[in-house]
Amino acid sequence: MLHAILWQENADIVHACRHHPFVRGLFAGTLAIEAFRRYVGQDAFFLRAFVQAYAVALARCESLAHVRQLYSFVGGALEELKLHAAYAADLGIELDEVSPWPSTLAYTDFLRRTAWHTDLGPTLAAMTPCMRLYAYLGQAGAAQRRGAHPFARWIDTYSSREFDLLARQVETLLDALAADTPAVHDAYRYSLQCELQFFSAPLEPGA
Amino acid sequence: MIAVMDDILRSPWVAAAGDLWRQATRARFLDAVADGTLPPEAFQRWLVQDYAFARGLLSFQAVMTAKAPRAAYGLLIAGLTALDAELTWFEQHAGRLKLELHGPPHPVCRRYVDYLIAAAYTRDFAVLAAILLGVEAAYLAAWSALPTTGPYAEFIERWSSPRFAEYVGGLLKLAGEHEHPGRQPAFNEVLRHERDFWQMIWES
Repeated sequence: MLHAILWQENADIVHACRHHPFVRGLFAGTLAIEAFRRYVGQDAFFLRAFVQAYAVALARCESLAHVRQLYSFVGGALEELKLHAAYAADLGIELDEVSPWPSTLAYTDFLRRTAWHTDLGPTLAAMTPCMRLYAYLGQAGAAQRRGAHPFARWIDTYSSREFDLLARQVETLLDALAADTPAVHDAYRYSLQCELQFFSAPLEPGA
Repeated sequence: MIAVMDDILRSPWVAAAGDLWRQATRARFLDAVADGTLPPEAFQRWLVQDYAFARGLLSFQAVMTAKAPRAAYGLLIAGLTALDAELTWFEQHAGRLKLELHGPPHPVCRRYVDYLIAAAYTRDFAVLAAILLGVEAAYLAAWSALPTTGPYAEFIERWSSPRFAEYVGGLLKLAGEHEHPGRQPAFNEVLRHERDFWQMIWES
């Protein structure tokens, strides 16, 4: 299966994400709340582009079955945005006032460019890593979690069966719509590189 | 100084960009081109990355042209033809130097191209006119400030020529005719990408 090949060939970046100081801090509950605040603001900005990229992909599907699937993914991403809105309210962040950082724009511009300018294959390849990586990280975080945790809601969301199912569905659609081409491999890898940068950015001085 | 350059420097675009304009049009790479101390590997890196950029710019401009009002066709299509010729010219240079032009672009180049192409599809024509002005005006300013001598005179002349200046003058007029609250922020964003691009070429 193409999705499994892509996941395996990028194990180096997945490993780097899993052991990134931001992720380690998130799992251990020691991540500075300020870093988490910054991350949530950027992630909400990113998710809006993610929803739009799904919508562009949806508009390009010829099969109504694929349209339905992408429609449900749009719904899933909108649900995730609700979670961010709840976080933001708790953390006192005005999501509408968040300005994107260069690393966030790199990711959203890449998603938009891919969705609008290339085909469904690279578009799905650009969108799958985020889903699979977060399911993987959520489950890793849940396995490590003991008792009360400051980031319990994040871990619960991404370790849930529902989120894993969503990631599987996106992977199934990738397998159905993407050919094994260099553009697909490149989009998948670059997307994961953007994810890695995304974890680094909230920890950088001046972020 | 080229007359068009004077118009650009006195324009509200440059005034509102503040120090970003200087950052986008002055670079250690360009200083080294001017004084003849540019390391060959930096020049080759520039050639490869600028080729990748020019291909992205061509996509941007093609989509932009499709959204353009009739009156802008001539200018934009002439620009596309010039870009096509530029790609051929890059390919000839790369061929002589045996450089691989189709490898993955540097992430900084990639970000710039992604920005342009994403904008081409999702932003209004007025914003695209500001973006294209930013790209070409910054390039004209950067290269035309250099003396047309030394091993890279051919490159300096290319982006300091009266013909290129006239094209940029046309873009200045076009961008001025289409108002939009997003146009100056987009112009500034281009300058940030230009700044990062020059830095990447020098420091990679």
